[in-house]
Amino acid sequence: MVEGGMMARNAKFSSLKMSAGLLLLSAVVLLAILAPLYAPYDSTLSPLAVDLDLLNAPPFTKGHLLGTDLLGRDILGQAMWGARASLIVGILAATIAVSFGSLWGAVSAFFGGPVDSLMMRAVDGLLSIPNIVLMLAINSFLQAQQVVGSLPAWLLDSLHVTAYSSGLLPLITVIFVISATTWLEAARIARARIKSVLVEEYVTAAKAIGVGARRMLARHLLPNAAPVIFVEATLLISDAVLMEAGLSYLGLGLGPATPSWGTMLTSAQESLIQGNWWTVLVPGLLITVTVMAVNLIGDSWLDATGGQGRMS
Amino acid sequence: MLEILTRRCLQAVPLLLVLSIVTFLAIQSLPGDPVDVMLGSAKRDIAADELEEMRHELGIDRPLVEQYFRWLSNCVLKGDWGRSYKDGRAVTKIVEERLPATFMLVGSALLLAFSLGVAWGLAMVWLKQYPAGHLFEALLFSLAITLYSAPGFWVGFLALAFVAKTNIHGGLPLLSVHAPGDNTTFLSGLFYALIPSTVLSLRRMAKVALFVRTSVLDELNRDYVVTALSKGLGQMTVLIKHVLRNGLSPVITLIGLSLPYLLGGSVLVESVFGWPGMGSLVVDATFGRNYPVILGLVTMYGSIVIFSNLLADSLQIALDPRLRQAGDETARSRAAESGGAF
Repeated sequence: MVEGGMMARNAKFSSLKMSAGLLLLSAVVLLAILAPLYAPYDSTLSPLAVDLDLLNAPPFTKGHLLGTDLLGRDILGQAMWGARASLIVGILAATIAVSFGSLWGAVSAFFGGPVDSLMMRAVDGLLSIPNIVLMLAINSFLQAQQVVGSLPAWLLDSLHVTAYSSGLLPLITVIFVISATTWLEAARIARARIKSVLVEEYVTAAKAIGVGARRMLARHLLPNAAPVIFVEATLLISDAVLMEAGLSYLGLGLGPATPSWGTMLTSAQESLIQGNWWTVLVPGLLITVTVMAVNLIGDSWLDATGGQGRMS
Repeated sequence: MLEILTRRCLQAVPLLLVLSIVTFLAIQSLPGDPVDVMLGSAKRDIAADELEEMRHELGIDRPLVEQYFRWLSNCVLKGDWGRSYKDGRAVTKIVEERLPATFMLVGSALLLAFSLGVAWGLAMVWLKQYPAGHLFEALLFSLAITLYSAPGFWVGFLALAFVAKTNIHGGLPLLSVHAPGDNTTFLSGLFYALIPSTVLSLRRMAKVALFVRTSVLDELNRDYVVTALSKGLGQMTVLIKHVLRNGLSPVITLIGLSLPYLLGGSVLVESVFGWPGMGSLVVDATFGRNYPVILGLVTMYGSIVIFSNLLADSLQIALDPRLRQAGDETARSRAAESGGAF
């Protein structure tokens, strides 16, 4: 009886977490969708429109609901476009990381033995490097390899790279650097899941009728491990959002031409010294809300599948 | 017990090897070999056969595997990690200067996160048993979830703004002012670390609090608690000797698992507060494309994490007799850390 009561309360708590998470996330998504309506690029509210007559205006200034930053740019406009950048980076980076990571983990678990040891030791070794340090290192090596210079012209064209602008290149680089770090976690999660699927009877049956390795992975192991891997993957989105903010704050993420919450924090640091706290408050709060929303959704999902959430 | 500890130590060896191979390959992948780097533009004036001879002397015309072992023995035995591109000083020397500041920051953050985090978690469990406490518990829980989601460096900004506004900075140092390698006393260093390490610790503290809450609540619902109570053991005895001991023992593994996150977070917190540690160095080195320094720091960070995990594991095996037989996975899976960015 006690058990039942406990379970019922947990289920209620879990669905509360889910609703709260979905509510917060939809608010952020709404901001991202409405960005071009509220702050089109050719208006005074544009995230890039500099107004030198109105520097560091406080919130509720006429025409600027949340005030302006140290260059007179509208904060709400930047925050809304920043929501786009953060969500795009978060979702794409997590998707790439999970696709590559789960393949790595699945192959490792499936072959077992020395292959497994080798593949997982590589993951463990890389995981021992704090992820921001790893990201900085990868970033610097991308520069060293002069990757940009070696890209074909048509690709640079389609990324809108010109002599004056790096176009979408910073966005792609950030997504690459973040997923090159987060796939490690995904690989570990996927390996654990596949290991637990491997002992199932239908896997033994499939083995007995002589199903080959590739078919086994594609048809039996990955689809059956997928739901849980997918849930844990949503949690990686929150990591990616935090990482983008951190990298952009350090000046190694999205450049000033792409408004993001991280780049907003960089310029806000200067306004802060002059006592303009609101420039710092808005982007930070939005990061916190997004990360919390994703964590709540992922955790409540994990509760439902019997796993242990990140915030428990 | 000794056998398990030896096995754990041996498990750290392949990790260190992976770390070293990755580092070595990274060095190899850089454009320009050491001869190019050393000579710079002066290379034009030197004949090709002389360049070849220099390469031969440096051993970089040897097979890659041989070069790797030579590089490894140089690193490990002679402590030669190369020289900084920026000022030509030995990387080991530079890292050595920065190490104490980072240790102080991360160490005090670790201490804060776990002492206050455990207290916070237990407070939530304690409040939960009273009907009137539920509201406070929900409040503490929401606070923990919020802090766990907030980026640490942003909290640092808020702390700076708050201290600057409220004028208590007459007594509290806002930004670190001593130069790297400067011999400030331990105590004054700790004083400077007060705000940065508190800021750094908050995210972990929230994680520890949430973890302790779940762990102890799980333990309270177990059958042995009912058994112990029904055979007449005092509530306090059951709580302290059984529930807390079992519920808190995975926290020790969490300490080891927390270090990469604190070290990662310290990179950003050091940048916010101008703290002269390894974190601000790695950012500088990234901007300056100072590869020997970056690689030295990557190795340093990795080794610290590997050894601290080893230490945490051993400590937990010493405290939890169940793990002496059960072996590998139990401890780790109970304190499982599912990701989380710095």
